[in-house]
Amino acid sequence: MVEVDGIENLEFKWGKKRGTGGTNTKVQFYESFTYDGLDYTLYDNVYLHKEGEPLPYLGKLIKIWETASRLKKVKVLWFFQPSEISNYLFVELAHPNEVFLASGEGVGLANINPLEAIAGKCNVVCISKDDRNPQPSDEDIQMADYVFYRTFDVGQRIILDKIDGKIAGIDVKFIFNQSGSLKPCSIHNFSVDEPASENAIETNGRVVMSKLNSSENQIPEDDRQVEQKPVVAENGFNHKAEENSDVKASSVKPNLSLQQEVVPGVVSESGELAKTNDRSGDRTGLSLKIKANADSKLKNPSGEEIGCVNQVKSEEKLKSVKDTVELDERPHKKAKLDNSVKVYSDKETTKCATEPCGTAKIPSKKLKIDDKFKKSTNCKSPAVPSNDGIKTGDKAMEVTRRPDSDRSKWFGELPWEESLQDAHEFGKLVLFQNLDPAYSSAEVEDIVWNAFSETCRAKMVQQTAYSSPHFGINLSQDKLLLYSSQGKLQRMLLKNWMRDACCYQIGASIVKLCCDLLELMLVRVCCIKPLVASIPNPCFSRKQSMFAGHLIVDKLKSQREMKEAVSTSHSSQPNTVEYDMAMEWFLMTERSNQFWKKLYEQQGKELKKLRVNFKSK
Amino acid sequence: MESGKQNEYAAFEEKVRRTVYLDNLSPNVTESIVRTALDQYGTVKSVEFIPNYLEPRNMPQCALVEMEKGKQAKVVISTLSEFPFMMSGMPRPVRARAAVAEMFGDRPRKPGRQIRICWLDTADPDFEVASKLKQLVKRHATETAVMLKVNSKSCIKIHSFQGV
Repeated sequence: MVEVDGIENLEFKWGKKRGTGGTNTKVQFYESFTYDGLDYTLYDNVYLHKEGEPLPYLGKLIKIWETASRLKKVKVLWFFQPSEISNYLFVELAHPNEVFLASGEGVGLANINPLEAIAGKCNVVCISKDDRNPQPSDEDIQMADYVFYRTFDVGQRIILDKIDGKIAGIDVKFIFNQSGSLKPCSIHNFSVDEPASENAIETNGRVVMSKLNSSENQIPEDDRQVEQKPVVAENGFNHKAEENSDVKASSVKPNLSLQQEVVPGVVSESGELAKTNDRSGDRTGLSLKIKANADSKLKNPSGEEIGCVNQVKSEEKLKSVKDTVELDERPHKKAKLDNSVKVYSDKETTKCATEPCGTAKIPSKKLKIDDKFKKSTNCKSPAVPSNDGIKTGDKAMEVTRRPDSDRSKWFGELPWEESLQDAHEFGKLVLFQNLDPAYSSAEVEDIVWNAFSETCRAKMVQQTAYSSPHFGINLSQDKLLLYSSQGKLQRMLLKNWMRDACCYQIGASIVKLCCDLLELMLVRVCCIKPLVASIPNPCFSRKQSMFAGHLIVDKLKSQREMKEAVSTSHSSQPNTVEYDMAMEWFLMTERSNQFWKKLYEQQGKELKKLRVNFKSK
Repeated sequence: MESGKQNEYAAFEEKVRRTVYLDNLSPNVTESIVRTALDQYGTVKSVEFIPNYLEPRNMPQCALVEMEKGKQAKVVISTLSEFPFMMSGMPRPVRARAAVAEMFGDRPRKPGRQIRICWLDTADPDFEVASKLKQLVKRHATETAVMLKVNSKSCIKIHSFQGV
């Protein structure tokens, strides 16, 4: 499933062996391995990267082996992001970082992948209240990349709250938190020497602490030491990450007794890091750094490494850290990880479209991506301080295709009718009017993507004889989930363009805000049409009993004759009564055609008059 | 990819030419009925009903019937306009027209079309104009709705007049 190509030689080492394969004794199973500087153990949660996809997949290693032909494989049990299953269920998230473990039987439960597809470790904490699950502390939860307590049954396609004895043949005790491993990214290479590191403290914290401890001994000699500690202690250091040489910029506090304060400081920042619900290789980058730090002790000249461990202020900094990291230490960075990292934190990248891996699938002819558009491509980023999710003004954005990798389509799309009804129930339906009728549904989806950074399914309402030729209408449903879009809303709200800022109901609020947003800020489409949005009240098909125009035959009679009578479609002849009646209908339709024509002409004129007033065309 | 798209669109346009738009269909009419009805004029390739999500409930159904050849479609349209054709009941005749691209739900994108959007700030001079336009559009929509209501009322009137 996941392709591997262009792999450079990353360090790899097998760990503990487990046994050989039954049928083919040349197959060797393992319990752990080291890859690209990280230690992985069976049942660890990892990121897997697929070429061409902007976001990595989340999975749990449930089998690790090497084949006879020396190929390394892993079997991965998947975690689903809410967006991937929102087609089937309205997902009410218990936690903003909630994911769902796959369970049941069927496609999508687990896959075998080459080991090289692993892109890093991930901290997923199980928050199930099950007795069998070691309960995580609040801090654990805060620092987790993701949490889960429910599973998604891939066969039945429902969410299950209870976890049974086995999932994918794996005993649940490996699904729940492993006792003693409630620390994320447990890196085995560390010799953690302090017992003072309470369980709740992040690995990062331990790293730093161990550093500080050892630095204690080395203070007199290395003047870099002094920098390192305050780097750790200070919250303000992070903007200096980019500068390889100069870490002194942050105020220097040579006082070692700061150690105590340092640790919590570190912890909180790492907590922030964990909280940034960014599925980028952040963790990877950091854990790599941690490892590197550990190895190089404190003598490592690039003092910003420690700095970068604690850099969590904003994504930008992180990105720059990674940049420097990549530049300095890892010239042989995996091609995949490079690309994936770049895509996530796209603040710095100017041209997403020129990504070699083509993760942003933008057709080549529409390569004009200016800064404004950059923001909209990264819909997963948390609230960014420099808020420009919505840009107004002179420059019109080009509407480009939204990335096609829509994972919610894994399990096949629900038929439109059903999902329309669901969406309406949950208030996720938006009606856009005044679109150019020539647009196709796909174009509307793109427009929504560009304007709001939200994915949706859209359908242009088909025109009938009565529809206005001037504007088309379109129904679109947004796949909006509570938490992921709240971040966006935050951004929108920051700009003070919303009148009603505070109604947060399930999903309906998003839609409402959309509408209001469009009330205040208009979206123009190419032939200068402001887009009108509203929440529609669609009526779904039901068989109506009465149809004006058809004579209803008396029931008794029809029952008798039903067996013999066959209702045929026919043209009636001029010598029947039926013909006369039909003529009346003809007359009526002609009349109505006339007034429809007049009406639309009139409307067209009015529209034209107003449109002339547009200053900028 | 470009030519692929254009081909796709060209094929779609061709299909549009071959399709007949039927109106005033009774809700009891099914696909097979339509098929057999129009078979006399040529080969019917497909029948698709246009779903009605937004309009009031008692609207007659509409369908798109794709014929094998454009000529057949034309014949259908002309015959049905001349002589009243009834399906599954009488006497309200079925109306036929040439189909238009916008009637198709799953139409492909038109290649070469560039859409540009931008958000307008309240301070922008165009904002006023645009909001007026929006109001106008909304008004038009309600006008249309009113017309539809009137239309259906007169249908009912004729119906009651004719029914004995």
